[in-house]
Amino acid sequence: MADSKIVLQELTKEFKVKNGVLTAVDHVNLRVREGEFLCIVGPSGCGKTTLLRILAGLETATSGQMRIAQRNPDKPLNSMVFQDQSIFPWMSVRKNISFGLECRGVDRRTTRAVADRYIEMVGLTKFADAYPFQLSGGMKQRVSVARAFANDPEILLMDEPFAALDEQNKLLLQEELLRIWEGSNKTVVFITHSIDEALVLADRVIVMTAHPGTFKEEVEINLPRPRHIAELRQDPYFNELFAQVWEILKDEVAKAKEREGYSFHRRERSALDDESHMVM
Amino acid sequence: MVANQSTAVSEETVPREQPEWRRLRPSSDRLRSLLGLLSPLALLLLWEAGVHLGFVDYRFFPAPTSILMETWDMLLSGELVRDMGWSLSRIFVGFFGGGFLGLIVGLSMGLFRPVRLLLRPIVSAIYPIPKLALYPLILLVFGISETAMYFTIGLGTFFMVLINTQAGVLNLDKIYLDVAKNYGASRKDYYLKIALPGALPLIFTGIELGMGMALLLIVAAEMVGADAGIGQNIWTARDTFQIEKMFVSFFLIALLGYLFAELLAAIERRIVPWKRQEG
Ligand SMILES: Nc1ncnc2c1ncn2[C@@H]1O[C@H](COP(=O)(O)OP(=O)(O)O)[C@@H](O)[C@H]1O
Ligand SMILES: [Mg+2]
Repeated sequence: MADSKIVLQELTKEFKVKNGVLTAVDHVNLRVREGEFLCIVGPSGCGKTTLLRILAGLETATSGQMRIAQRNPDKPLNSMVFQDQSIFPWMSVRKNISFGLECRGVDRRTTRAVADRYIEMVGLTKFADAYPFQLSGGMKQRVSVARAFANDPEILLMDEPFAALDEQNKLLLQEELLRIWEGSNKTVVFITHSIDEALVLADRVIVMTAHPGTFKEEVEINLPRPRHIAELRQDPYFNELFAQVWEILKDEVAKAKEREGYSFHRRERSALDDESHMVM
Repeated sequence: MVANQSTAVSEETVPREQPEWRRLRPSSDRLRSLLGLLSPLALLLLWEAGVHLGFVDYRFFPAPTSILMETWDMLLSGELVRDMGWSLSRIFVGFFGGGFLGLIVGLSMGLFRPVRLLLRPIVSAIYPIPKLALYPLILLVFGISETAMYFTIGLGTFFMVLINTQAGVLNLDKIYLDVAKNYGASRKDYYLKIALPGALPLIFTGIELGMGMALLLIVAAEMVGADAGIGQNIWTARDTFQIEKMFVSFFLIALLGYLFAELLAAIERRIVPWKRQEG
């Protein structure tokens, strides 16, 4: 087995909530290889974002262990592409993409050159000096992706970066992502709730259980690279993989739905009946 | 050539976003300013006609033309410039002093929790008191003086800018803090690249409100505390029943308000170009 970049052992995250604790991530074990493109799929609310935030160091685990191997201590270890709109409205496209480099004190000329290279890669050259309010949703996500790549981290953490986009934009950005990533030798942990997206991008897909989130099963995706997404979809092997992952995920989605319904039902009832909490 | 064409075509067919932001520019600036001039002009015409036809009592509402003549006289006698000078100097000292301090205190309260907890009770206690209610006390402390007027105007501006600056920092989306942490921003980077620019739109709102407050306070403050100035002029005009003079002062204040608002808007467009401008 190749070198491990990230190792998680029995990682658990609990949030203190009004009536007790909520387990968002439940005893997760994970080994991510150096340079691997890993996708994690799971129903919404299963703890995907929480897990990624722990990997990013924005949240600390309640228990368990996390080890991340750093190759070069002078470079950033990870950069995150956030699920929500996160580019700075007061910075131009170029400034946004330069943000990580500027914070690290990289000299102006290098920063500019790197930023412009990624601006070109995501097709925003004409918009280099535009402000986010002048951009469409797809363009904003491109800026977000370019900002992460320009920072040149060893690990890219991507939290459903394309979830809010329409199909065409999603396809374009997935292809752009693959093009930029292939040959960058970066490790990627990419979160999505779309099986299709996971399959076209990943070397390996991990399926998470519904809340509380833990890892259920993993599937190796042995599709050759470089990949052409539109062609992949016609590959019978791709469809086989899709069926396989869906089979694993199906029950979890149902459980997540059930839980939503359950909590809705509970809320309704407690509004009507003050003694409902005694049933718990 | 052919190959060239085909790449151009394929680029066309890729559903990439159009530069739709061009559309956001105002379609016709001239038409807009023309429309804005229409209603005040119509009002002045009606007024003038009303006075001449006897519908409007000229003793209380002298005709715009006689107000204009009075303005000319006051300009020639130097009275107008002198009064403007006095009032403007008071507004500027009070407004800039109070505004600058409000900005500093507002930023500190927004950024540092201990400062916020420490100062919040005092700020929320004093903020709602009309500053004019404090004027008699201020006059006792500073005597009838320029300082008393600076202080009153400064106080009004200070709180407007403070409250809005603090809100601007506190209302910043939490996600920007996460981005800052994840991308290795230092404290200084966070203050200068995120907190300050992010708070700018509300800081400008505070400055605009502070400006309005300063104009409001100058007239009242000059009533007691001054022997020259636009506000003072209004009271003298009342005592001597020189209603034209009074109206000249009204128009001067309105003009000042308008000029300051335009100036601020121009500065804001330069400093906050990333804000979607409303037409
Ligand atoms: N800061 C927090 N405080 C309390 N509960 C949280 C917090 N963040 C997430 N949660 C809860 O943890 C669970 C997992 O959330 P999240 O990681 O956002 O899921 P996902 O990204 O898979 O949709 C959810 O039930 C959510 O309500
Ligand atoms: Mg999420």
